[in-house]
Amino acid sequence: MIETFTEIWQTARRNKLRTSLTGFAVAWGIFMLVVLLGAGNGLINAQMQNNDRYVDNSMMIFGGMTSKPYDGLKEGRDIRLDNNDLVTTQNRFTQNVDKAGAVLYEEGATITVGENYVSSSLRGVYPMDQEINKKEIVAGRFINDIDIRDQRKVLILPENQARELVPHNPRSLVGKSVKVGDLAFTVIGVEKEDKSRMSTEVTVPFTTLQTIYNYGNRVGRINFTFHGLTTEKENEAFEERYRATINRQHQAAPDDADAIWIWNRFTQAMQMAKGMNIIRTALWIIGLFTLLSGIVGVSNIMLITVRERTREFGIRKAIGASPLSILRIIITESVVVTGFFGYIGMLLGICANLYMDATLGSKPIETGLFTTTVFVDPTVSLGTCVGVTLVLVVAGTIAGLMPALKAAKIRPIEALRAE
Amino acid sequence: MQPIMIHLEGIHKTYAGAQPLHVLKGIDLDIAEGELVSIMGASGSGKSTLLNILGILDDYDEGDYYLAGTLIKNLSETRAAEYRNHMIGFIFQSFNLIGFKTAVENVELPLFYQGVSRRKRHQLAMAELEKMGLTDWAQHYPNEMSGGQRQRVAIARALVTRPKIILADEPTGALDSKTGIEVMELLKRLNREERITMIIVTHDPGVAAQTNRIIRIKDGVIEK
Repeated sequence: MIETFTEIWQTARRNKLRTSLTGFAVAWGIFMLVVLLGAGNGLINAQMQNNDRYVDNSMMIFGGMTSKPYDGLKEGRDIRLDNNDLVTTQNRFTQNVDKAGAVLYEEGATITVGENYVSSSLRGVYPMDQEINKKEIVAGRFINDIDIRDQRKVLILPENQARELVPHNPRSLVGKSVKVGDLAFTVIGVEKEDKSRMSTEVTVPFTTLQTIYNYGNRVGRINFTFHGLTTEKENEAFEERYRATINRQHQAAPDDADAIWIWNRFTQAMQMAKGMNIIRTALWIIGLFTLLSGIVGVSNIMLITVRERTREFGIRKAIGASPLSILRIIITESVVVTGFFGYIGMLLGICANLYMDATLGSKPIETGLFTTTVFVDPTVSLGTCVGVTLVLVVAGTIAGLMPALKAAKIRPIEALRAE
Repeated sequence: MQPIMIHLEGIHKTYAGAQPLHVLKGIDLDIAEGELVSIMGASGSGKSTLLNILGILDDYDEGDYYLAGTLIKNLSETRAAEYRNHMIGFIFQSFNLIGFKTAVENVELPLFYQGVSRRKRHQLAMAELEKMGLTDWAQHYPNEMSGGQRQRVAIARALVTRPKIILADEPTGALDSKTGIEVMELLKRLNREERITMIIVTHDPGVAAQTNRIIRIKDGVIEK
């Protein structure tokens, strides 16, 4: 083993420029592969983080417009979801639905505390909204069932709006009374602002909003969490059943896909994951093709090496080297050269990833309305490093194979004759 | 009479090609153990081909070749390498040492292919170099040595495996006459003292005259 390495060192040293140029090609290929994969991971992680703001296993239902005539009614009717649909959702699908709720919006509400005021919109929700949208309460509490039942006039302010109302101690608003238009509401909580969009929504109990603003039995949208739907097929089957039930309540064709809109975050996440995998695969392919030129380079110098060392291999064979041992010399040399420079490339790639992480990765982009991060943790995992190592060994073997076979076939008499 | 070391019977060799070349046309030859034999012949007479066949570097088309009682015929490359490694020591006109290896590393090489351990290898190689009077040169590279020294390193490499026969192809061809004589003395001494069968291919009648027997080849057959 030691002999093999000293020999590789001896031959590599004799052709410094050639070895380093080829090494550069391999290092560059691996560098690109690692940087691409790292950057890809950064983008993917950022996307994942954005998605993380919602619970995956939830659906949102919106009213739509019928697209086909049914039951003596024309197409093109608006469908408005109502309390009845919410009850149906909660009671008829208990096998899958955990908690159902509804959301209503009321635009243009002015909230006043003393001389300070902010303009907001109201968002009436059920207690389960906190779970679905991952609301984080920094002071006080969220809406509860009693608020819903009694239609209490209570609200939750996002922290940025609370700060505008009471600049020095926004959280002290909890328990205080504020005016919403002409009505008095009690602040029961302050929630963390969502920096990824403008946070001007004030949260109130759904029933309060529905009653005060005369929505009758209308609900804006229905949302619910679910369980037991793990495959795309199961999800589709459920959606079909659900759609048919709700459509019928509105005299719309059971299979009318436009009467209500279903936004299933779970299947969306599944499709996203599929997309991410495609991106990842594409990055691997691009990286491997970049590496390919390096491999061809290694194969090329190994061929030249074999030609140069023809006589030496002839001597070795004359004094008893088997073809296999010659084969081994060349392949080992190829793997060592590829591996050595590949590792340099990999380390540089990891350094580049860390640099990206330190600059782009930690710096959110401020747009004025919202902030977002393009790169989150743009690094490669240990598994990827192992994968890249494997690629290097395989690549080195492939690069060395042809030259090695050529070397193994050298006939000692011809080699010795060639002066 | 000594036991037979080499037995050739009706060896034919033709090089294929556009114009097939019938180089050896029925060689019958016996060489006894411990003999010092020279092979002479004009270029193109087939003596190099015969040497290659004797050295298992080339195969033959017809006939039988027994080396120390073993039939050498239709061997795989790996098998041929193994036989060369164990039974034959080569000495070449141009030494054929490996340039980036030191003298002692060159001598160790055949033992490496026998799978001898590192330390043992070094020991045996150093002992062989000592016999050649090259102990002080063990760590030198071939290009730092004179022609005579290089040839002695090559002889040490040929002897280190204790082969059955030594095949020398123009061993003095690249040396000046004084060094050539020294090398011949060395080979003769080895033949005498260690009873090693030796076959020397040469052009030089002076060299041939120092051997026990001269085999002359002409047009692919041995002259009687």
